[in-house]
Amino acid sequence: MSAVRRDARIAVAIARKDALAELRGRQAIVSTLFFSAVVLLLFGFSLGPDAARLAAAAPGLLWLAIVFSGVLAVGRLHLLETDDDALDQLARYPVSRRAIYAGKALAGFGVMLVIGLLVLAAVGILFAVDVLAAAPALLVTIVLGAIGVAAVGTFYAGVTVRLRAREVMLPLLMLPVLAPLLLGAVKATVAALAGDPFGELGAWLQLIVAFDLVMLVAGAATYGYLLED
Amino acid sequence: MRTRILGIVALVAVVAATYTALFVVPADLNQGDAQRIFYIHPAAAWVSYLSFGVTAAAGIGWLIKRDLRFDAVALAGAEIGVVFTAFTIWAGMMWARPVWGVFWQWEDPRLATTALLLALYAGYLLFRRLTDDPERRATRAAVVGIVAVLDIPIIHFSVEWWRGLHQTPTIGSPDRIMDPAAPGIFVATLLGMMAAFTLTWLYLIVRRYQLARAELAREERVRLARIASARSAFERAQPTQPAQPGQPTEAAR
Amino acid sequence: MPQTTIYVSPRSLGAPDTRPPAVETDDLARLFAGVPALAGVSLRIDGGRTVALLGPNGAGKTTLLRLVATAIKPSYGRARVDGLDVVRDVEAVRERVAYLSHATGLYDDLTARENLRFAATMLGTPDAHERVERALADVGLGERANDRVGGFSAGMRKRLALGRILLGAPSLVLLDEPYAALDAEGMGVVDALLAAWHGAGVAVVVAAHATDRLEPFLDGRVMLERGLVMAVEGEGVAASPPAPPASQPAPAAKPAPAAQPAHAEVRR
Repeated sequence: MSAVRRDARIAVAIARKDALAELRGRQAIVSTLFFSAVVLLLFGFSLGPDAARLAAAAPGLLWLAIVFSGVLAVGRLHLLETDDDALDQLARYPVSRRAIYAGKALAGFGVMLVIGLLVLAAVGILFAVDVLAAAPALLVTIVLGAIGVAAVGTFYAGVTVRLRAREVMLPLLMLPVLAPLLLGAVKATVAALAGDPFGELGAWLQLIVAFDLVMLVAGAATYGYLLED
Repeated sequence: MRTRILGIVALVAVVAATYTALFVVPADLNQGDAQRIFYIHPAAAWVSYLSFGVTAAAGIGWLIKRDLRFDAVALAGAEIGVVFTAFTIWAGMMWARPVWGVFWQWEDPRLATTALLLALYAGYLLFRRLTDDPERRATRAAVVGIVAVLDIPIIHFSVEWWRGLHQTPTIGSPDRIMDPAAPGIFVATLLGMMAAFTLTWLYLIVRRYQLARAELAREERVRLARIASARSAFERAQPTQPAQPGQPTEAAR
Repeated sequence: MPQTTIYVSPRSLGAPDTRPPAVETDDLARLFAGVPALAGVSLRIDGGRTVALLGPNGAGKTTLLRLVATAIKPSYGRARVDGLDVVRDVEAVRERVAYLSHATGLYDDLTARENLRFAATMLGTPDAHERVERALADVGLGERANDRVGGFSAGMRKRLALGRILLGAPSLVLLDEPYAALDAEGMGVVDALLAAWHGAGVAVVVAAHATDRLEPFLDGRVMLERGLVMAVEGEGVAASPPAPPASQPAPAAKPAPAAQPAHAEVRR
């Protein structure tokens, strides 16, 4: 079996294992979704009741909710590995470190995609934004954004999983790095919702793609060092 | 000794450049004396980025060579870098207040960029403190530093893009001294200040590194002493040599 | 208990004299927060031998096992498994070594079978499904295969971890107090495995407080105390006395810079 095929098999096996564990017991997706709903409600309370203002702020609120929930969700996927020191066992299998990262990032992407789509729907409802009209562009943005959050989040969750102060270190490390993704995703969302009057949607999506690529490569290349000891 | 000379040269350069910026160069037509801060701001910003580059490069050096002195350089880069980044922000705020009337504004998002840089540094330094084992800490910090550094150009790029889409008022723009048509004295002072800052930065990095390296050596001595004392405790506890059937292994070095 | 089938990698076969030692350490030392857990251990365990690692708590037994298992890296000195350095050739060592520690590394939300199937994929076990079923039977967990591990007792988790070891084809098995928390049936499983490994020429190192139950299986014993080897007895095992206090411990090996390891190539 070629190296790439074996790596892919390992990654899929890890992602499946995470998905299985999450669906079974940990309810990470469900509790994170409730969290994002609460966040959106609080946004509404603090910025409302002017509907126009909320609608204008909606793209930013959308991605803030996604990013904050992402910190929680991706962190939980690594928390799985604290079961009886499972991470230590995982690190000692004769599999490439890239494959382990890819597997966990894949699981993270799945979770983020679900969260992103549902938060998008919630924002559409809560802030009276017509998301259906711009659905294709918004979908692409959500997918690309989910990749970025998963790539970065998986990496930093690996960084912090064995630390004492992991609950606060994960957002502290992750969020500044996500700033350009946030910027690009919000601008892309604004452009998409307005029908892309200035033709900037493509440029912003390219920015997100570049971000995703850099972070995926960096994460895959360095994750092995995190499993070292 | 060489370090001391470097320090003196740096100090002289800073004094000279500051004097020039404050008293020799004419005041800006629009912003008045407040514009003078912009001889410092780019210099401080440049050195902040340089520091992070050093931290990341030293991290790579550790991962390849596994020599803890690389990690000492990385730590020095981060600590000095956070100081200069904070200074950059402070200088930016000091400029913004008289010119624009507020300490912070979002129109020119480079303040926010620098604030993000500060957040990356702070995260790196706080993160370092959470691991006690030197090798583990060096490895984890190296990895965090590398990814953070990769993010910096992306931040820069995305923010420039963002800026390009909005019209920034030119009167309050700090870019005027970057204007190639500006008289030579402006450019010369700016470059002089950048050189002075770079020398000062270099001096601080070297000093901080020397401190860190001394600490490393001290820790290593403690570890070796503990191993030696464990071995002598063993010897004291042994009345005779332990019985060993079969040939002992050579204790290879 | 039905006869346990041990799958042996081709490299484990061959006359004992021609094989490199299963474990060989040179002045191996490891400190935690500045305190030496191992202060310079130089020992050799021959291939195919079953050796007990004895000593009081804090003697360094677990640390030694973890170093050989590549779970942690040495502070000073070197360790080799089958002639391969545990730091420089870490991936090759991981293919050869199986380690049962106090923590089992099992996922609470998955069933016993799912845990083993996942492990089989990670290990590259051929005929994974049959092997998993056989491993479950060999450790006596066939009836609990569909139960979530979260509900297992400590003894059952340990048995499942032993089953996971059966999915690989290690040439060296490291067991950290295998009888702890096991009932009579569980201890019988361990006995059967020890006999099977010995018969198959797999080297086994067992850390324990006392050897009563292990006696029938042991070739040799290593006595550790305060991070150093006090004595060795029996066959297939040897040690040098610790270096004098004044001597410098040898520096530890450095990991190879290209951190992306090759995955397991050897098929069983």
